[in-house]
Amino acid sequence: MPELPSPDPVQHRSLAGWYMIAALLLLTVFAWALFDEVIGLRPWKSYQARFKVEYAKYLRKQITQQRAQQQKIENSPEYLALAQKAAALKKQAQPEIEKINSQIAVLNAQFDAILHIHTTRQQYVASNIYIVEYTKSAKRKKELLTKLARYEKQISTIRMPEAGGKTRLVHYNYRQLMDAFNQNSDQKSALYEKEGNLMAPASDAEKKAKAYLADHLTGPNVTALQGLLAGNRRMSIRIRQFYNGKAGIVDRCESCHIGILQPIKLTKADMGGNLLFISHPDMELLKIHDPVIFGCSPCHAGNGMYAESVKAAHGFREDWTWPLFSKSDLDAGCQECHAKDMVVDHAPVLNEGKFLFEWRGCEGCHAHAGYDQSPGEIRTTQREITSLEKQRNQDALDVQRSNHLGDIAATNAEAQADYLHAQSLQVSMSKISMRIDHDTQDVHWLMMDEKMVGPDLKEIRAELNKRWIPVWLHNPHAFDPTTRMPNFPFRPGDVKAISAFLWRDAIHMQAPQQPPGDPVKGKQLFRTRGCMACHAVGYGKNAAGGWFGPNLTRVGEKMNYDYLVRWIHNPRQRLEPYCPALGRDLTPADYQKAGLPFVFGLHHDTFEGHALQVEQETVMPNLRLTLKSAQDIASYLITLKEKDPSSYSPAPYMSDPKLAAKGKKLLQFYGCSGCHEIAGFENAQKIGTELTAEGSKPLELFAFSRFLEDAERGRDGWAFTRASWFEHKLKDPEIFDQGMIRTAGEQLHMPNFHLKPEEINALTTFLLGSQTPRFPKNMMYDPSGPAKDIQQGWWIIKKYNCEGCHQFTLGQSTALMTLPWFQTPNGKGDLPPRLLTEGARVNPNWLANFLANPALSDTDVHRDGVRTYLPVRMPTFYLSPIEIRKLVRFFEAMSHQPMPYIPRPVKPLTPDQLAMARALFVSPAAPCLKCHAIGVPAHDKFATAPNFLLARKRLKPDWVRHWIMNPALIDPGTAMPSGLFKEQDGLEVFSGPVPPALAHYKGDEVNLIVRYLFELTPEEQQRLIQMSGKMLMPAPATTSQLERPQSPDARSAAYVGTLVASH
Amino acid sequence: MSWWQVWQIVSTPDNTPVVALLFLMPFFVWLGLRQARANDRLIGQLEADPEMRRTHHRKTQPLEPGWAKEVHVWPFLLRMEFLAAIIVTIILMVWALSLNAPLEALANPHVTPNPEKAPWYFMALQEMLYYFDPWFAGVVVPTLIIIGLMAIPFIDTNPLGRGYYTWKQRKFAISAFLFGLFLWMLLMCFGVFIRGPGYMWFWPGQFWDPARVVFTVNRNLPDLFHITSAWGKGIFGAAVLGIYYAVVGYGFFRLMTWNEFNRKIFRRMSLLQIFVMDFLLTTMMLVPVKVIIMHAFRIKYIWMTPWFNI
Repeated sequence: MPELPSPDPVQHRSLAGWYMIAALLLLTVFAWALFDEVIGLRPWKSYQARFKVEYAKYLRKQITQQRAQQQKIENSPEYLALAQKAAALKKQAQPEIEKINSQIAVLNAQFDAILHIHTTRQQYVASNIYIVEYTKSAKRKKELLTKLARYEKQISTIRMPEAGGKTRLVHYNYRQLMDAFNQNSDQKSALYEKEGNLMAPASDAEKKAKAYLADHLTGPNVTALQGLLAGNRRMSIRIRQFYNGKAGIVDRCESCHIGILQPIKLTKADMGGNLLFISHPDMELLKIHDPVIFGCSPCHAGNGMYAESVKAAHGFREDWTWPLFSKSDLDAGCQECHAKDMVVDHAPVLNEGKFLFEWRGCEGCHAHAGYDQSPGEIRTTQREITSLEKQRNQDALDVQRSNHLGDIAATNAEAQADYLHAQSLQVSMSKISMRIDHDTQDVHWLMMDEKMVGPDLKEIRAELNKRWIPVWLHNPHAFDPTTRMPNFPFRPGDVKAISAFLWRDAIHMQAPQQPPGDPVKGKQLFRTRGCMACHAVGYGKNAAGGWFGPNLTRVGEKMNYDYLVRWIHNPRQRLEPYCPALGRDLTPADYQKAGLPFVFGLHHDTFEGHALQVEQETVMPNLRLTLKSAQDIASYLITLKEKDPSSYSPAPYMSDPKLAAKGKKLLQFYGCSGCHEIAGFENAQKIGTELTAEGSKPLELFAFSRFLEDAERGRDGWAFTRASWFEHKLKDPEIFDQGMIRTAGEQLHMPNFHLKPEEINALTTFLLGSQTPRFPKNMMYDPSGPAKDIQQGWWIIKKYNCEGCHQFTLGQSTALMTLPWFQTPNGKGDLPPRLLTEGARVNPNWLANFLANPALSDTDVHRDGVRTYLPVRMPTFYLSPIEIRKLVRFFEAMSHQPMPYIPRPVKPLTPDQLAMARALFVSPAAPCLKCHAIGVPAHDKFATAPNFLLARKRLKPDWVRHWIMNPALIDPGTAMPSGLFKEQDGLEVFSGPVPPALAHYKGDEVNLIVRYLFELTPEEQQRLIQMSGKMLMPAPATTSQLERPQSPDARSAAYVGTLVASH
Repeated sequence: MSWWQVWQIVSTPDNTPVVALLFLMPFFVWLGLRQARANDRLIGQLEADPEMRRTHHRKTQPLEPGWAKEVHVWPFLLRMEFLAAIIVTIILMVWALSLNAPLEALANPHVTPNPEKAPWYFMALQEMLYYFDPWFAGVVVPTLIIIGLMAIPFIDTNPLGRGYYTWKQRKFAISAFLFGLFLWMLLMCFGVFIRGPGYMWFWPGQFWDPARVVFTVNRNLPDLFHITSAWGKGIFGAAVLGIYYAVVGYGFFRLMTWNEFNRKIFRRMSLLQIFVMDFLLTTMMLVPVKVIIMHAFRIKYIWMTPWFNI
């Protein structure tokens, strides 16, 4: 059987099938590539397409709605009247206008007829003149001019239209043609002007109608909406980006968040439930931060350049340093540029975090630019003094040298130059001397402003119950769950050692003995003097009072009575002054050796040329209580306890010197001196990591230790993010030591503050925002002028808890406001003043004096300088002039007042005007003196407003005028009645029955009162009091006075009698 | 055992080529050897049957009567190559479309990633840096590889096995090449799959913890013999290395003359050719030897001089 040759696979095998499959696959892949190119990598295209649909839907709905609303307004009688008036005016002007229009039409037709020939001939002449001007040969010039003159004489014939459709032939030579043309233009503009004048009343009326419509329409009008709709229809689908080349910002966020800048507010519900399409929720913020300059990512972080996937664009990749801030950390975006601010508008969470960082004492261990600056400033200033002194010495030598050079100089001119040089050096030396004086003063002042979070531990022997100390150290939160003192991760024995060290190195001195006071009276004083703006008594629901200072519920268990009296009387008093130059406290023995009395204070703050710290570094102010009151309050506070102080077990080990030596090392390790003044640790360095740029620290540098795998895998509530690390660390600072073997001195030693979740969130936000600036300096918020004053002022406001008593912005709540008796309608009158417009109200020079000495007196100090009638007292903070300056500027800037303040002269009253002002003042309808203090104790007890005598020095006349006119506008809820005056023909006149003296007065009556106030003398006030007479009767028993906690029980019936007797 | 960690490594786009290589390399080696076996069978038949030798082409398998002994490049080769080109294009496009380039964040001069790994094709070189001095691992070895590969045509005196797959006629050459190739792959896999943070050795499935602490004390061979002087170290190391080259070189010499076939080829080689080949192979063997003594005995260097270490 012949074997058929099998076909050769190389030659005969068909590859068609393979090719077919390969080609189809290739085609598919090409299609895929095309899809990726057009849609897959550009998700924003489909978003934009969907947005167009949703937005159009929403706009149409809005148009219908707004049209209905608009029609309703258009049908209102007011609008109809306006519209009709406009129509009538239009109709009235119509015949005249039509006449003018027909005239203009004729002129226009004439213009058209003349235009072409005019242009041609003018061109010809102009070009020939040019040739003449540039022809050199005189002969040729003459020829050309003759030719041109001939041309100008040529006649053009034009068929000129006339009114009524007729035409007429005109013959113009060149000049006539030009004149006719110009005449046409002049006539036309004259007619247009006339027409405009005729139409003016009608168009004004129309404008009024339109304005009425706009004023009464809520939301955008139909035309605007239609414009948006048309814009939406035209909108092309494309990449949208903000580009700021100088700052390196390229943000394409708008490509997907396409509704973000729409001029009308779009909510999720408006856009068919699609959150992606909403407009920016805070348009106010965008007004300040124009996206064209700032883009999006500087605030929100994320990878703005990326528009290919949601995850990558939001920066959620571990190698992207700036992932999008989550909703709870949103405010972090402000910090990068607003690092210098303590308070940033629109960023409540960040503000809370910034405040907590200071208040909680984080700054004690962790440096952060902007915090705890005074030690650094003191060092810088001292260095500056040294270098200035060196320079002065150098200059002194140079003076001698120059003088000598002058003496031996060859020429007169050279000698004079040398002498001049010597002279200028002498001048500069005197300037340097003045700078040194200034700097030396600054060092003292800066030391006044140095404050610490915790109390001075040098005085614990005088201050504390010895047995209580170890119990407290062991677990502060068990003793007081609200305390700022954190629980330290002490190892067994640490507490004993630290207590022993503190006890050993404390000052061996006692506070002077005090007789016991009256606890009942003390309780009353504690509740009314303003202590509770910072301190609370009771825990949880039973707590009453502020949170800024320590809770006093168990203060009786720990404090010595004598020391407590001293502390309440003046918390800034020290047992011994601290001398930074010698590095220790000065003892009476030191003073004795120097032959000086052991006296120190704000006026004795130098010892042998060294600046001293003479104050306790506490923010607690002096309430200027009498010693008796201090004893009363202390007697009350000492009763606050849950168990007897002597029931604590004794602590004999606190006298063990070996333990003390160990304690010193431990104290250093745990960083106690970050918050407390401790002997030998006054200059200790901060022991924690600097956190100024913690938010941009690379993720891999965060030690997640045993939780790294959890974090990377995202389990058990962990995430591989900075935020997650911060949150866990703040919740449990030792968490990263869990399961680790650590020898003593090697373990994590950040204490546990038992922060609330919202506090953790606020601090996390603050830390996340603490980044190395990515953008150029001019984008950072580092303002000058008033904005800087505000920026600096807030640090002081927050430092001293001014907000515990005063309101600085509307809506802000003070600690006092939350107390029950200040919430009653009557008690509200007893609240400290709101400072919403303080800068506009008071003279800055007066304010500076007041802040330095709120009693406004050196002798009569146990009172408030302005509101003598208030039980709550503005305390003395012993602010340094540096801080006073900043505060005054802060108030001025907050009220948009120019600095420096130059008072406006107030025109003196004529005798007539004086009489009228007096009459107004005592008018029975508005007896000013009824509420305002007058310096008579019996009356002032019931006063609710300051003495008028203060006005001249204290107030600004412009503000007083506004205040009298409408106080409720300036300070909503004030006791001062509004509506005392009303406007009449541009003048303010009294609303009540006008006193007869003013019957013929034609001027502004508020003006009268202001001028009167600013020339009020004590004698004049006496006169007013006599005139008021019976009107100064105390108010009936239902008014606020009864509710006053310290109000006297007996309301003297012989009140008026006393009053009269007092003068 | 953390499969999560394994997946993290394997799914990183950087590592895709190496993961693919794990499958592709054995596959192509297998494919080549299969072809070689078929050819070897044919060679056997041809050697046994002189008649068949006349009708069959020497090098192709299997050839049936009536088939052309030789075919044209166009279209018979090119159509195959074009098909292959299309398939490769498809694969590359799918790869490019499905995986983005694994770019990282902007470089931060304050933070050096540890380790900063080389791309996969240089990973073996980087791994070698762990065992050798930089000048040796980074300069000498790559140079020797290139020179060695270039030298192959000049030291190869075997006239058989050119242009077709065969194992029988090229046992020595194929073994030597595959040994080198797999050594290279092994180093690459160490670098990619085993070396975690800090270039530490992580077994597959171990969590890559940058804070892990490992015991890595590297000793040098002279230290084991308490040789402390520089001269002593130099001379001792040179001696040890000399012995190594003598012994392993002799081993390769024995391999080159293993059987009659090898000896026949060996006889065709000049002295220079023999020495060059022996030197190259012995130097190649230095790599696995160093890997083993490093991991098994924690010995880093053998020969230490003030200028270089081996």
